[in-house]
Amino acid sequence: MTATASTTAVIVGASSGLGRALATDLARRGHALLLVASDARDLQAIAADLELRFDTDVATLALDLAREPDPGARILASLVSMPPLSALLLAAGVSRDDDDFSLPAARIGELLSINLHAPHAIVHALLPTLRETRGTIVLFGSIAAIRGRGRNVVYASAKRALESLYESLRQAHAAGALHVQLYRLGFLATNLTYGMKLPMAASEPDAVARHIAARLGKGSFARYVPRRFALIAAIVRALPWFAFRRMRG
Amino acid sequence: MAPAESRGFALARERLTSFDRQFAADVRVQRPDRYRLLDALPADQPRIARGGGVSYVAASFGNDATTLDMRAFDRLLAFDDRAGVLCVEAGASIGDVQRFLLPHGWYVPVAPGHPRASIGGCVASDVHGKNPARDGTFRALVEELQLHVPGRGLLGVDARNDAALFDATIGGFGMTGTITHATLRLVRPPRAIALRRVPVDDLAQAARVLRESANAHVLYGWHDGRPDRFGRGVIRVGLSDDEAASRDVALSKNTDLPAAIAPLPVPLWNRNGIAVANSWLSRRWCKPGFEPIALAQALFPLNDARLYFAGYGKAGLVELQWLVPHPRFEAFAVALGDCVARERPRIALISSKLFDGVARGFALDGKGIALALHLPSPTQSSQRAFCERVAELAIEHGGRPNPIKDSTLDEAVMRRAFADFDATRDALAAHNRDGRFGSELTRRIGL
Repeated sequence: MTATASTTAVIVGASSGLGRALATDLARRGHALLLVASDARDLQAIAADLELRFDTDVATLALDLAREPDPGARILASLVSMPPLSALLLAAGVSRDDDDFSLPAARIGELLSINLHAPHAIVHALLPTLRETRGTIVLFGSIAAIRGRGRNVVYASAKRALESLYESLRQAHAAGALHVQLYRLGFLATNLTYGMKLPMAASEPDAVARHIAARLGKGSFARYVPRRFALIAAIVRALPWFAFRRMRG
Repeated sequence: MAPAESRGFALARERLTSFDRQFAADVRVQRPDRYRLLDALPADQPRIARGGGVSYVAASFGNDATTLDMRAFDRLLAFDDRAGVLCVEAGASIGDVQRFLLPHGWYVPVAPGHPRASIGGCVASDVHGKNPARDGTFRALVEELQLHVPGRGLLGVDARNDAALFDATIGGFGMTGTITHATLRLVRPPRAIALRRVPVDDLAQAARVLRESANAHVLYGWHDGRPDRFGRGVIRVGLSDDEAASRDVALSKNTDLPAAIAPLPVPLWNRNGIAVANSWLSRRWCKPGFEPIALAQALFPLNDARLYFAGYGKAGLVELQWLVPHPRFEAFAVALGDCVARERPRIALISSKLFDGVARGFALDGKGIALALHLPSPTQSSQRAFCERVAELAIEHGGRPNPIKDSTLDEAVMRRAFADFDATRDALAAHNRDGRFGSELTRRIGL
C-alpha cells in the first residue's frame, strides 16, 4: 500500500471489462480499493498498476464466485485494515451462449452463483457497514432481463431477481441512509461482445465507468446506460405477445 | 472451440492492414484480457502476438495465424524509482510508459517513432531509437522477460535463466512465445533538448557529421531524394540542454499518432508533391543553427506526420532501411546517387542514422550508417525495380536490411544479406519447433 485514502470501494469482478474500468476511474478519484476477481494474477497486475499510476491503496481478493459458499464473509475479512467502506460495486457477471434450456444443472448452478447468489451474499455481509457509512451499493442489471426469452434464460432470471434485490434494499432503507443504484446495462464493448454482431454500437466501458463513479453517493435510482435503452426497453415491454414471440435472438 | 465455450474468450475475424498498407488479411483475432485467456486457444493453434499494430510490415498477423491482441496487458507491474527499473506488461505502449516515467525523472531512451508501439513489439523487433550509436537498440534495456508458451505456461527468462531463449526473443519477431511482460533498465532524461542543425550537401558529408556527433541524445539526418538534389539535407544533433529552466514532461496522449491513418483519396507524393514538400523542408530545416525542442517532440517525431502518411494514399509506401558498414558507406552512397539519377524513382524522403553496436540475429544493428528511404506506390513496376536495385547495391556493399520496416524483403534477399541466415533461423526455430508462432513477415522472409 502506498497512500492513505479516506474511503474504500469494493469492486467485484474487477479484472476485466466494466469492473476494470471502474477500478481505474475510482483509483483516479482517490478511493482505496478492494478488488475481487477469480484470478490472483490479474488482480496483482491491476493492483500494481493502479498503485503506481494513482498512488492509492489497492488490496485484492481472489475468489471463485461460482464455488465460494460465503463470498461476503471473505470480503468483509479483507476490509479489516482498509479505510471505511463507502461503495460496493457488483460488476461480476457471466452469460453463456448455450443458456437456452440446454444447460445441465451444474452449469445452471454456476450461473446463479455468480449472477445472483454472490451479489446477495456480498450485500448481506456488507450491509451493516454500508449503513454505518451511508454508503452506496451499485447493482448491474441487463437489457436481457427486460422480458424473458428463449436465450439467456438463467442469466436473465438472475438479472431480473437483482431488480427485486434493488427494490428490497430501497424499501428497507430511508432515503439518505443508504444509496442503492441499479444500472441496466446495454451492450458494452467488452470481451463478452467482442466479435458479436450487435444491433447497435456498444458503449465503451471507460465512459460508462466515469458515469457511474461520478454518481456514487448521489442518491438511489435505477436507470439504463446508455439512456437510449430505456426507450428500447419500453418498446419491447409494450410489444403484444404475438409480436414478441416472433422476436429472434 | 465450440461457440458456447468461446463466449468471453474474445474471438473474432478482423481485417488487419500493415502500417505501410502493403499487406492486408482477414484473420482470426483473440483479445485476451485476463491471464487465463492466454491458454484459451488450442495449444497447436498457430498464433502471433499483436501490440499497437503499428509495424510498417505485417509482423502481428498472417493468413494462417490467430492474432493475439495483447493491448489489455498494458499494466505497470513494478517500478524502482531509485534504481530506475520498470517492469511492465507487453501490451503497454511506449508513449504511455514515457508519460508515466518522465515525471518521475526517468525515461526509455530507445523508443521507436510511433508512440503506440507496444513494449512487446519493441522487444520482438529490437527497435532502435533516436541515436542507436549512443543508446544501442532495445536489447540494451531489457533485463528480464516473461513469455507465454502453450503447454509450458508463463516462463521467466533473462541473461542467466534460459539465456538462449531470452536472447532469441529479443529481435525474434514473436516466434519464441507471447511476450507478457518485460523488465527494463531506465535512463535519466535530459532536462531539455537543444537541436543543432547541420546542413549537408551529400550523404558522404552526412556520414562525417553523424560520426562526429555520436554522443548526442538525438542524431539523425533528413535528406532530399530527388536526382538533382540527392543527399542534400540536414543532420539534426540533439544536445542536452542543462540550462533549460525545467524538464519538459508535456507528452499528451491526445497527440499520439493514430495506429491507423486514413489515406487521402488523392495521394500527395507524386513528383510535384515531393518537390514542393522537399523545397519547403529545405528552406525550413536546412539552415545552420540551434533550436530548443520539446523532449516529447524529440521522442515521437511521427506525431507530427499524420498528413505525411495519409499523403501516400491507398497505395501506401515502402520503407527500405539498410545499414551499411562505415568502410563501404561512401561508395554505397555514390552508387545509390548514380542509381537514383539513372532510374529517377519517386523518393519522398531519406533519413540517416549512425549505428555503433553488434550485429545480432536479424535485428538492425552493427557499425555503420543506416539509410531509410520512403517510396510511394511501391507496387508500380518502376518503383519496385528501384527497390530491388537498392537491395542489390546494399548487399554489394555489405549492408544489412531491417525486416521490421521493409515489406519488399523476401527469403532470397535475406539469405544474401545475412551470411549466417540458416544458423540464425535455426536458432529461432529451436524455440518454435512446431511452428506455432509466425506472421506474414516471418513467412515472407523464410523464417
